[in-house]
Amino acid sequence: MNDSMNRRDCLRMLGLSGASVGLSSLAAAPSSAQNPGESSGFESSVLASHKVQTNPAVATIVDGKVIQPRRELPVLDETDVLVVGGGSAGVVAAVAAQRTGARVTLVERYGHFGGLWTGGLVLLITGHIVKGGKQVCQGIGEEIMRRLDKMDGAIIDRRPGAKPTVDAEAAKYLMVEMIEEAGVQVFLHCWGVDAIVTGNAIRGAVFESKSGRQAILAKVVIDATGDGDVFAAAGAEFEHRSHNVGLVSRIGNLDRIDAAQAANAPKPKHIGQRTPVAGVNWVNMHGPEVDGLDVATLTRMEMSHRKFIWQNLQKNRSLPGHKQMYLVETAPQLGVRITRVLHGLNAVRLADLRAGTRFADVVGVGGADGGNHGEWQIPYGALVPTKIDNVLAAGRCIDAEMSMADLIRLIPNCFVTGHAAGVAAAVAVQDRCLPRQVDVAKVQKILRQQEAYLG
Amino acid sequence: MNRQAEAKAFPNPARTREQRRRRPLARGVCLILAVLALWPLLPGSFTPALVPALSPFVTIGTILATRSLHFLAWLGLAVGLIVLIRRRFFCHWACPVGLCLDGAGRLGRRLGRRRPRRPHLGPWIVLAALGGACLGHPLLLWLDPLARFAGVFGPWNQHARPAVVISAAGFLAIVALGLFWPGLWCSRICPLGAFQDLLFLLPRSCRSWLRGKTGNPQEAEASAPLPRRMLLGAVAGASWVGAVSLVRPTRPRPLRPPGAVDEPAFTGVCTRCGNCVRACPSGVIERDPGRHGWATLLTPVLHFRVDYCREDCVRCTEVCPTGALGRIPAAKKADVRLGVPRVDMDVCLLAEDRECSACKSRCPYDAIRYVFSATDYTLTPRIDMEKCTGCGACEAACPAAPRKAIVICPL
Repeated sequence: MNDSMNRRDCLRMLGLSGASVGLSSLAAAPSSAQNPGESSGFESSVLASHKVQTNPAVATIVDGKVIQPRRELPVLDETDVLVVGGGSAGVVAAVAAQRTGARVTLVERYGHFGGLWTGGLVLLITGHIVKGGKQVCQGIGEEIMRRLDKMDGAIIDRRPGAKPTVDAEAAKYLMVEMIEEAGVQVFLHCWGVDAIVTGNAIRGAVFESKSGRQAILAKVVIDATGDGDVFAAAGAEFEHRSHNVGLVSRIGNLDRIDAAQAANAPKPKHIGQRTPVAGVNWVNMHGPEVDGLDVATLTRMEMSHRKFIWQNLQKNRSLPGHKQMYLVETAPQLGVRITRVLHGLNAVRLADLRAGTRFADVVGVGGADGGNHGEWQIPYGALVPTKIDNVLAAGRCIDAEMSMADLIRLIPNCFVTGHAAGVAAAVAVQDRCLPRQVDVAKVQKILRQQEAYLG
Repeated sequence: MNRQAEAKAFPNPARTREQRRRRPLARGVCLILAVLALWPLLPGSFTPALVPALSPFVTIGTILATRSLHFLAWLGLAVGLIVLIRRRFFCHWACPVGLCLDGAGRLGRRLGRRRPRRPHLGPWIVLAALGGACLGHPLLLWLDPLARFAGVFGPWNQHARPAVVISAAGFLAIVALGLFWPGLWCSRICPLGAFQDLLFLLPRSCRSWLRGKTGNPQEAEASAPLPRRMLLGAVAGASWVGAVSLVRPTRPRPLRPPGAVDEPAFTGVCTRCGNCVRACPSGVIERDPGRHGWATLLTPVLHFRVDYCREDCVRCTEVCPTGALGRIPAAKKADVRLGVPRVDMDVCLLAEDRECSACKSRCPYDAIRYVFSATDYTLTPRIDMEKCTGCGACEAACPAAPRKAIVICPL
């Protein structure tokens, strides 16, 4: 093929579609390979000059419709367990599966771990204690809390009756440490966009990144995307829900409020709760109830919330004695609470919480927000789709009825479902069976060995 | 009641040896059955109601007051029919309280106590109750010994304890009376006994009165004071009720269990037997330890500290012996409104941007929505009053402490 023809062709197509997807020629090198241009000096070097990407499958317009032709995707990695989403559920799932003996690859859309817990600045750990004060979130979740406890300024209020609050950066650091210790293969800045499916079974997932569109093949996939992106793409049944979408922020210098001046002033609004950093509060936001899967809505939310946070700060600063107050940051991630919820073999139900139902296939125990009720069990069936194989849900997108969704999505409960999904996926790989046929007794045994609490 | 009538009613030297053996035996069996029914260890949803419902005094008092027939009213009416013919039949053969008092009296006599000469209060109590009942509020119905006996049984938890102690003290006071003044309660005070006397004597006194006092002089003597006294007592009771009903209650009315009759009548019709408190599977009924004044002392009030009034449960209405809690079909439970929720945004966690959906997610009727305000940027719970029954699920679930942000208030 003529090289110059190819370049012209390519440029024309890029111009037509306005898209710059499919930079597949750069994508072949796995991260472990020696990367050219990586040096210790402060310099920049040319990696390739006059380069034109070969993209035979660039999107184009056919009959007024944007069409993406069929194309072969480079396989970035082949692994036992692929965890999509590096939030609180995904990280715990990856660590658990690796510790159980599986080869694990974790992909995360942002540059850090922790998802909404850290990137969403939902710094609060709540929902791990039940009436009477017992902590039901054990295992890797408790390990995270314990290790944060040993770090300086990483977690506060880790005492009975209080709700622990973490420092997002400390949590991000700790998760890097734990992922590296476990030996999990990680790809950050990597957005899972599609599932690879043969028949009824998921074989892996497709990712979009600066390296282009790539595939990772796996024996079992754990969907810890929060939005159920992978199981939905694979054709699993789910419920699409709306919930409040907010934007969390942190404000500082609260320790520099002039108490004498502020004494007779009206109270500032939306000033949140304390964090491990002195004088800094994290400020939660509910926001309106919207569809968290609609990009136009998400854009609108982000912009209007950002305006409100700034304007509210100005109002607060104008109060006597509050001059020093400032906005530390707004969360990198928009606070999407619930979107897709899996339709699983079983579900987490309020009636079971009330009745204290004990499931034979229990893989985790959830607690109470505020400790005003007893423990409730999470059945393995709530993680398993009804029809699609080789995929398990973890985190807020497991099957839970509306009334339980606000408990399921709390950080410690994401630790718990992540831990369960990780161990179950590893057992399925070891026993060469489908996740739905996994020996739950074995999963429970391993979970208990890993100090999880199963009631 | 004259001395002869009394002699007929109480330790009767002339009674046969047969009776002497059989009566305590029958009453003992009744005592055991009563305890089993109230515990409740007998099968059947309404068994706890059987014991207080046996009293014709309570039955007729409530029929007059509520102008309706309770589903167990036939029990009290049947006992009433028997005592029309056999004087104080219930006292002699069934009364579990009488058996306890006999024991106490025997002990008292051994300690040298004697039956004092005291005026007959029983008939006055009965007549005042019936007079009040005609105006919808039977006074002193709660003095019924079977209700006081039932009131001893109760849940023994931290919150219920004061009320159970007060209620048990009432029964112990009756037993103490029996110990210090043997026979005083049964012959002079007990409204159930006095009512039986009344039922037995009234037809006879009327007959003799119609005959122009020409009949049996003994019977005439026994019955002569009755009509006048009856009139006086009934008028006293009715006028008291009338006077009280003119005074508007100043305290907020308490939150009542489902099916409760209207408020001023409730305190009269309720015998404070505690059946509903024991029957409630969620434990949301407690006996008022005096928070709403003397008139409502020990009456059932709802609290939603930890649990709520279940959407399919009507247990309390099944065990109420008087109809103070009217029967409700379980299917109609959602139509019964217990109270109205009030939201206090000063303590609601949503106002502080806290992540909380406790009241919304626990509402069994899906009556709560959170409304977002674009100006304040906060959520506020909004209640659909069409759907809300005031079951208290929201209040029970509310994590705000020490004051709950959503509280059910009386209608």
